[in-house]
Amino acid sequence: MTSTARQTAISSLLNELKAASFVAHREVEQVLPVIQPHGEEVTLAWIDACRRIFDFDREAGKAFIRGSSEAEKISETVLPWTEQALTFMRWRGSWRALEGFMANLPRAYGTLGHAGERRWAAIGFMWCARQIESGSAFFGTPVLELSGRQGITGIEQLNTPAEELFESRKLLLGTYLSGAIRVRNLLGAQAILPWALRGADIMQSGRIRGEAYFRLESEESLALLLEHLPGYRLTDRNRLLGMLLDVWFGAGFDLKESSWSPEKGRPFMETDGRSLFFPAVMPNRDEAVLSVLHAAGHMRFGTFDRSSMKQMFADAWVDFPASGPVSWAPLFIRYGEDALRFQLIFDLCEDLRVDFRIQHLVPNYLRRLLATARATGTRHPESGVYFDLALASIEEALAATHPNAVRGKRFGVLLDPSSTVADAYRVACTIYSNDELPHIGDLEAFYAAYLPGRGPNATRLAHPQEKKDQQQTEAQGEQQGESQDQGEGEDQTAQNAESGDQQDGGKREEVAGYGDSSGTAAQAAGRQDAQQHGASSDKGVPYPEWDYREARYKRNWSWVQEKKLSEANLSETHRLMKQYADALKRLKKAIQSQKPTRLAPRLRQMDGDDMDLNAVVSFIAEKKAGRSPNPAIYRRREMRQREVAVTLLADMSTSIMQHLPEGGGRLVDRVRAGVLLFAESMEEVGDNYSIAGFCSKYRDNVSYYTIKNFDEPLSENIRSQIGGMSGRLATRMGAAIRHATARFEAVTSRRRLLLILSDGRPEDYDDGGDRRYLHEDTRMAVKEAVAKGVHPFCITVDTMANQYLPQIFGPGHYMVLDHINTLPKKLPEIYFRLRR
Amino acid sequence: MKTAVNRIRGVERDIVQMPQADDIAPYYEPQGNEVAIFEAAFRKRLPVMLKGPTGCGKTRFLEYMAFQLKRPLVTVSCHEDLTSSDLVGRFLLEGSETVWQDGPLTRAVKAGAICYLDEIVEARTDSTVVIHSLTDHRRRLTIEKKGQEIDAHEDFMLVISYNPGYQTVLKDLKPSTKQRFIAINFDFPAEDVERKILVNEVPGIPVEIAHQLVAAGRKSRLLKDHGLEEATSTRALVYAANMINAGLDPVTACQVAMVNPITDDIELAEAMMEIVQAHFAA
Repeated sequence: MTSTARQTAISSLLNELKAASFVAHREVEQVLPVIQPHGEEVTLAWIDACRRIFDFDREAGKAFIRGSSEAEKISETVLPWTEQALTFMRWRGSWRALEGFMANLPRAYGTLGHAGERRWAAIGFMWCARQIESGSAFFGTPVLELSGRQGITGIEQLNTPAEELFESRKLLLGTYLSGAIRVRNLLGAQAILPWALRGADIMQSGRIRGEAYFRLESEESLALLLEHLPGYRLTDRNRLLGMLLDVWFGAGFDLKESSWSPEKGRPFMETDGRSLFFPAVMPNRDEAVLSVLHAAGHMRFGTFDRSSMKQMFADAWVDFPASGPVSWAPLFIRYGEDALRFQLIFDLCEDLRVDFRIQHLVPNYLRRLLATARATGTRHPESGVYFDLALASIEEALAATHPNAVRGKRFGVLLDPSSTVADAYRVACTIYSNDELPHIGDLEAFYAAYLPGRGPNATRLAHPQEKKDQQQTEAQGEQQGESQDQGEGEDQTAQNAESGDQQDGGKREEVAGYGDSSGTAAQAAGRQDAQQHGASSDKGVPYPEWDYREARYKRNWSWVQEKKLSEANLSETHRLMKQYADALKRLKKAIQSQKPTRLAPRLRQMDGDDMDLNAVVSFIAEKKAGRSPNPAIYRRREMRQREVAVTLLADMSTSIMQHLPEGGGRLVDRVRAGVLLFAESMEEVGDNYSIAGFCSKYRDNVSYYTIKNFDEPLSENIRSQIGGMSGRLATRMGAAIRHATARFEAVTSRRRLLLILSDGRPEDYDDGGDRRYLHEDTRMAVKEAVAKGVHPFCITVDTMANQYLPQIFGPGHYMVLDHINTLPKKLPEIYFRLRR
Repeated sequence: MKTAVNRIRGVERDIVQMPQADDIAPYYEPQGNEVAIFEAAFRKRLPVMLKGPTGCGKTRFLEYMAFQLKRPLVTVSCHEDLTSSDLVGRFLLEGSETVWQDGPLTRAVKAGAICYLDEIVEARTDSTVVIHSLTDHRRRLTIEKKGQEIDAHEDFMLVISYNPGYQTVLKDLKPSTKQRFIAINFDFPAEDVERKILVNEVPGIPVEIAHQLVAAGRKSRLLKDHGLEEATSTRALVYAANMINAGLDPVTACQVAMVNPITDDIELAEAMMEIVQAHFAA
């Protein structure tokens, strides 16, 4: 084409455009000057493309035109991306993809280079060809996110699994992409494929579930994320943390997992004055230990002390509610945009005050804090100043621990043992008004300013504590959190509350009427009572109950009905057997190696109770023959193993149905597994045993479920009953113990052991709210059992059990399992230790 | 008891050793009034039960008292297979004759020594029955196999030790046995006493180290309910001090003396090491 011909073609195209859309034409005119320097041919090609794309789709055309100048600027070319843009015309409905393409072009060229851009576009086109929405998703995602700052390799990393999944499972890119990016950012590229494969499996079982997984909204995906996150896993270690709290602070801390997840930023330990909340993962062990100690320090040393808080609020001219939870927000709102800055300062002061007090409990705490903080790498550019200030304050505190030290002016007040959170507030106000510290606007900078072990203090509603009230108050249900000014979400964790239906079941049954134990509530799982028919049915076996207030027994006060479990769940049993197959195998081996198999007396011993006549004769004969025979002429009587009979009595009250705080099922699953393993082990050992469960509703309805009798073989039926064990109602332990003791009378063995598997206090609906009442009655029942030659031993999963079990069972006659998951394996082990 | 003459190492000696004039007293630091109680019991020759966790000084106390009262001490460590024959005696073949050999209890009864049955609960029940007649007003030992009885020497005294841990739930002494004894409760010593003990047992240990060891030991004892069968004993602390004195660094010494022997539970061990490190951080 000659130059003139080209120019004619250009103008005619422009006219056509003008006719089609005035706005488009005008925009073309604006961009033209940028294109023209590339030459007439290029200009012609470009305008032609403008017109064609515009014809194809008006929105696409506009996007093309508008994006052209940036594209030209950064790539210094026109034709390559123009041709790419034309490619979109192959597919219908591709205007959105083209929009995304044009918007991303500058970045694509900028970060990937020409070759990278080509590859990027090629990948995108393949997606468009597969499914146009996926193509839109691809081009719609900012290139920087796709590449993860790793150039085209980053994009390939994301793309390869996606392609495979599309081929095999028809997983759309749009569903996959944003989640995959986050996974890659948090865990690295190698984590994408396993995550995606798992998601694809879940997708098969249910579309909605699968999609929630990929959007990282489902618990499963979060759990997987947390599993692979590098660092120190606190969920697995909360027993250790609990032990440390026990040792340094004394028992009484409620440790719960918070709902932190990696995209919420840096993990911190939190407290609301009532409980401690730990994140699933922390960078390292030191930080985790320091965090737990520090947070406990807040609870112990008055950050949540009611009167101090009241004083602080008064100093700030803010109302303090007379009761109920308190929000920290009013203290910070007045600072408007500068609230983060003030909060950092306030936290710094209060943390210092608390850390100084902790030092008196835990030797070398401050030194450890300093060492860990100094080992942190580079400071955050914006908030490093705060970090250093905090370090300086710790150094000051450390200096103050030496006798005759002079306290610094700035923080001196806080290093006094009588200082309170109100003092911290005052000091913070002073430092704030001096205005030397920089403004903080960014949440990431804010988080980075905290020393390891510390964290923002005001993340949850506070539950002010009275001075004496270190104990947990009864759960009123977890409050929804109020977000901070910066929009940081409140963490919400489910309390150890019963699952919804159980709660309803309980309430409904209370209302349903006195003596109605047959479970007319809708949730009734059909546990049949043998006594259900006939109003004049046997009320069961009566037992006295001890009333500690009157210091006497109430005759025939509690009534125990023997019932059979009608729930049986063979498949659950099989599932549990499979799950614990290894543990069971090990147990059986251990038992077998311990079994004394000598039923015959041992002959020819060097020492023994009787003479082995044959050996004696040989001895004398050989002596007479002039030899020196071995004087092994005794025989030992057979080793009689101590005869033991044991009853395993499991608490089957409603609280065992609750979900475990660390996830992975419910307590009842562990109980079932524990009882099952116990039964199998006992079969191996050969001791005489029985299994029973109990629950109660009021004093005249104590249900005693004999799952297996003494001398009864362990049948499939019994196994399936164990698999179907479930919990409801309350725990009148005293009556159950008395009944179990009575049933021992049928057994003739010398030793009788009553193993009680519990998850909490003895209590019932009619104890009038007086905890001590049933505690005392249980204590008496234990004594009665001992008097009758039955030894009770309690195994509990209630970590607060140290508060009441020693008084009921006596020191050394109970055991607290810190980790519920160990119950199935520990139960048989405990038995063997006891019977030795 | 250490004597200049008889304590030739590697040579056997009789189990009933009469105290000599130049014996050296074993070191014992009283915790309360246990010395007075024991002396009173001895004056009346009443049997005594020493109750307490392992490693808190029961045996050492008895050695000390035996020295003070100038009586020989016969110790029997009881175990599951201990029968009455092990205590009272048995027939043995010597040459072509059958000879009766007295067991340690019989020797003590005859010689008027103090007989110490350590961890009596472990022994078989037929052995505990033997002591019934010795521990009431009869003070008589029956040797069934020989068909004889011995009235105990007037200086004879029986002492047993007893460790109330949860393993004795099934294997407990019968109430009728327990009631025959005067019982002295032992526990781990108070802080200052424990420090004194360390300093005396391990001469040359810096006082600062003794302080830290005792503090760490006391904190570790709080972990008992979390699954330890026995809490950190004073003996473990003495071992640790010895290891430090021998040149080992404190943290390692504590680990091998206080943590490793007690538990195999990784988390418990971690918690204990945390305590140790908190006290001994450089």
